[in-house]
Amino acid sequence: MSALLEVNGLATHFTTRDGVVKAVDGVSFRLDAGKTLAVVGESGSGKSVTALSIMRLVAKPRGNIVAGEVLFKGDDLLKMDDARVRDLRGDRIAMIFQDPMTSLNPVFRVGRQIGESLMLHKGMSRKEAFERAIELLDMVGIPNPRDRARDYPHQFSGGMRQRAMIAMALACDPDILIADEPTTALDVTIQAQILELMMEMQARTGAAIIMITHDLGVVADLADDVMVMYAGKQVEYGPSDAIFYDPFHPYTWGLLDSLPRHDVDEKGVLHPITGQPPSLINVPPGCAFHPRCPFAQEVCETDVPPALAVTDAHVSACHFSTDPEFRRGVAVACAVPEGVESA
Amino acid sequence: MTLRDPGNVTAPSRTLWGDAWRRLRKNKFAIAGLVWIVFIVAMTLSADLWVPATFGDPLAINTAPGASLAPPSLEHPFGTDKLGRDVFSRVVYGARVSLTVGVLAVSISLAIGLLLGSLSGYYGKFIDTIVMRSADVFFAFPYILFAIALIAVLGPSYRNVFIAIGILGWPSIARVFRSSILSVKENEYVDAARAMGASDLRIMVRHIMPNAIAPIIVYGTMSVGGAIITEAALSFLGMGVQPPTPSWGLMLSDAKSLMFAAPWLTIWPGFAILTTVLSFVLMGDGLRDALDVKMKD
Repeated sequence: MSALLEVNGLATHFTTRDGVVKAVDGVSFRLDAGKTLAVVGESGSGKSVTALSIMRLVAKPRGNIVAGEVLFKGDDLLKMDDARVRDLRGDRIAMIFQDPMTSLNPVFRVGRQIGESLMLHKGMSRKEAFERAIELLDMVGIPNPRDRARDYPHQFSGGMRQRAMIAMALACDPDILIADEPTTALDVTIQAQILELMMEMQARTGAAIIMITHDLGVVADLADDVMVMYAGKQVEYGPSDAIFYDPFHPYTWGLLDSLPRHDVDEKGVLHPITGQPPSLINVPPGCAFHPRCPFAQEVCETDVPPALAVTDAHVSACHFSTDPEFRRGVAVACAVPEGVESA
Repeated sequence: MTLRDPGNVTAPSRTLWGDAWRRLRKNKFAIAGLVWIVFIVAMTLSADLWVPATFGDPLAINTAPGASLAPPSLEHPFGTDKLGRDVFSRVVYGARVSLTVGVLAVSISLAIGLLLGSLSGYYGKFIDTIVMRSADVFFAFPYILFAIALIAVLGPSYRNVFIAIGILGWPSIARVFRSSILSVKENEYVDAARAMGASDLRIMVRHIMPNAIAPIIVYGTMSVGGAIITEAALSFLGMGVQPPTPSWGLMLSDAKSLMFAAPWLTIWPGFAILTTVLSFVLMGDGLRDALDVKMKD
């Protein structure tokens, strides 16, 4: 069976005065109906641009999708004409933006905004769309939906706005829901509610979700697959369990290690990944992560690591991913934390 | 009704325009301006019903001895001019000319400016360059001289005055609207609309324009005042409304040699220009504060 969404070798570049920014450079993944893929990485790792590229929303003329294919139910979105892509946007593939404070239009009533895609894609009248919007608001847990639908966004709190955004994205019952850091701008207490709501909506509508986040903790429970990105490249991709319990790439190790944990008592010391993410104009030669990688060797500075399959569904772009000796050595080094620095 | 956020307790109004009106009401200067404008409009609209009957036709020349240059009296509250015409009547009918020119001129500016400004702001690049450089050319000419030159070509008349002022006004409107669109365009809700599958036209008309229009309302209101001044100036110079049509600028021009002998001839039209223009500016100022979403209580 072909995947709902299959992305192969996607590359999106931006032309700037300082040079070409390779925001996304060779990303591949597949997403099946009803599944959740988490895209994880630091700021500027290309997560959002990946999402925008799938929707074909990368701002031209500076941003261009230079390579790859995005197969939605077997059709390449990148080769479709604009009108067809517009028909899919919001209808089959919907997106939730990061900041609910700015992604609702301040001059429209909330109900009217949620109904807009229904009017666009389902040919509903204004009245029908508004009635449906009230149902949707109710579904996402807004109290008094009939009253609140007549409110303007500034009368909503942040959490309620994000609920409204979710209602808006789900209005046309999309096959794919892309959520670009949907909880980053929210209070921690609200974050959990919103994630729970998204999972509940997924169970109800069967939509596949692409969850973009820089917070690994967020995705641990809810993702089926995880893709880790670094400097526009896909560094590790595989089933959630494999990424969390048996990761192969040193960057993923670093990410997991930098999470605050409450099950290990180390006097509250965090382990950040040292150094800064590279500029995407001057990506380091070889493996982009080598300047920050505690295990970097000579080959890392010269050769770009290929995506090595460590199991059927799990790939890792590290030269040593398939080298059992390397992993054994790291395991020994990690047992003695001081040893990591000198390695 | 249990989960109302506190904002609603003090804000019973549920629309953005309702909110703006509530804020505008608190601004005493803006309300004074609005009251004055409404008053003038009411005067001019109802003028035909009572002004000529009570104070005499603004065009009726009275050559009877003592009828000309009569100081203010009960019969002629603002006095009479050198042709014996009632000044009050002329000021009231002059308001008609001024307001009509002001509104029509700004409408022309808005029509051209909004169209070019939105094309320029939304599409950028080539169109932007052409529109903005043409605007620069307009700005490069001294305003009043450009207006006089246009009138000289079109011929001085009531109609040509507002056409000339309207044509000269578009670059400012276009520039304000363009910059407003440029900033609104960057908002995430525009991306959200695009992600929803909205077309360019729909995004422009439904999502960008309503959010970018506030500065235009402010600027347009103030421009009416500006257009009234320009009309007065052109008429004063003999390039605007032609006699015997009553126009404030024309009345000032006629009265300038009699300024000390019959001061009421200059005081009243001058007062009318001052208060009317000031009212529009105060209104515009008030609207700017009222429509500013950042000042939401």
